[in-house]
Amino acid sequence: MNFMVEVRNLHKRFGHHEVLRGINLRVKPSEVLVIVGPSGSGKSTLLRCINGLEHATSGQILIEGVDITDSRVDINAMRQKVGIVFQSFNLFPHLTVLRNVTLAPIKVKKMRPEEAEAKALQLLKRVGLEDKAQAYPSQLSGGQQQRVAIARALAMDPDLMLFDEVTSALDPELVKEVLDAMKDLARSGMTMLVVTHEMGFAREVGDRLIFMDEGEIVEEGKPVEIFTNPKSPRAKDFFSKILSHL
Amino acid sequence: MVDIDERWKKVLWLLGILISLGILAFLVVFFLRFEAGRTFRAEFFNGRTFRKAMPYVLGGLSLTVRLALVSEVFILVVGLIIALARISKNPILRALAIVYIDVIRGLPLLLQIFIVYYGLAYLGFKLDPFVAGVAALTICYAAYEAEIFRAGIESIHKGQMEAARSLGMGYMQAMRYVILPQAVRNVIPPLSNEFIALLKDTSLLSVIALAEVLRRGTEMMGKYYNVTPLVCAALCYLMITLPLMRLVQYVSNRLSEGR
Ligand SMILES: Nc1ncnc2c1ncn2[C@@H]1O[C@H](COP(=O)(O)OP(=O)(O)O)[C@@H](O)[C@H]1O
Ligand SMILES: [Mg+2]
Repeated sequence: MNFMVEVRNLHKRFGHHEVLRGINLRVKPSEVLVIVGPSGSGKSTLLRCINGLEHATSGQILIEGVDITDSRVDINAMRQKVGIVFQSFNLFPHLTVLRNVTLAPIKVKKMRPEEAEAKALQLLKRVGLEDKAQAYPSQLSGGQQQRVAIARALAMDPDLMLFDEVTSALDPELVKEVLDAMKDLARSGMTMLVVTHEMGFAREVGDRLIFMDEGEIVEEGKPVEIFTNPKSPRAKDFFSKILSHL
Repeated sequence: MVDIDERWKKVLWLLGILISLGILAFLVVFFLRFEAGRTFRAEFFNGRTFRKAMPYVLGGLSLTVRLALVSEVFILVVGLIIALARISKNPILRALAIVYIDVIRGLPLLLQIFIVYYGLAYLGFKLDPFVAGVAALTICYAAYEAEIFRAGIESIHKGQMEAARSLGMGYMQAMRYVILPQAVRNVIPPLSNEFIALLKDTSLLSVIALAEVLRRGTEMMGKYYNVTPLVCAALCYLMITLPLMRLVQYVSNRLSEGR
């Protein structure tokens, strides 16, 4: 079996603070893995290690069989296969929506500008924003900005998409439009690692869920099973808190 | 309450106007009536000397402006390179940049001009004064502008670099297409102020025989035994610096509005 992502005994330390303590993880192509856990449990750090924004302290991270912790690997080339969407959007404020989406394909993939634009418009249409192509990020709502960020990541044709609490900074009425774009992406067969507190999304789209706490994976299984019947006390405590809000 | 405040404001206004008028009256009387005033006028605002000296001093303005403009081009390039070295992850590059910035900022510009011009002459490199002047100004101002560039780059949220890198861009690509275009608007106001300072500091190059504004002013002062040529020089600098300062203010306001 070929895995899209394989994490082997990953440790990450910031100074003396060990944030990830031996993570093991395998994700199959087209699988949607939901990652939940309390704040500070290392979810963001795990995603950031997977696309090389943080260096692993020890352990291996294989993307399509290539170990990105190997210093000989071209990390820029690997990153093209792994898209990430951040909680804080991080759109480029000095560029139009269209230029946000076409910048990397043109500069990194050396795609012809007309080709990149045609593709960008198609992606913007897919997230429902083709009419905003000439707008600047500051003219968009949070939900619209986040959908542009998704289109921007997809423009590089990644094989794997990482989502780090992408709806946490949004007003409640804007959450759905972003989740819908993600659901659409999941249905199209994209492999996704999704850090989220949206349990409805996890149940509907997630193939598997892991619960992290203090840098470790504490539980793993079908989303519904875990949040209706968590085994560890830590998971029980966590889910009783967040599910009571639904 | 409000009434009393208003009345006080009016009283203060009136007082201000009265004091200004008093000073003005004193100056007029001083210049026209007293011996000391007349001497001052003859030495500083001598009409005949002014008419003779001004065209010559004004002729130095083109050299002053050329020195500033040519230097600025090199300063921007060298300053940006030093700034990038200063924030690079390579500890050797970073250390070199820190040493350069600190040492240069710790030395008087006049000393740097002497070292470049006379120092190199001792080594057998006789530089043209214009070249030496541009080199000395570049060496000095690049250190200051490097710090401005660094502050501008560091003011861009680190999420911007991460977003660019996560799309597969290399560090330099991310700098060029994402970070620097955003940093530019932050550095335009401080860089403009540096340019005004640079324009004034070209006057230090009068010591290496460049016939710019100040040099011409002092030459004429020696010739006519009169201070009026220095006033000519002052007017020449103000003709450029005053409008520039207003322009910088205007552009800064526009930039901060557009945020
Ligand atoms: N760059 C960093 N330097 C030092 N500590 C960090 C850094 N990034 C994250 N941490 C720490 O690592 C821990 C896990 O952070 P994070 O992965 O963001 O958790 P989560 O996303 O689950 O909330 C936190 O205690 C955080 O303070
Ligand atoms: Mg996080």
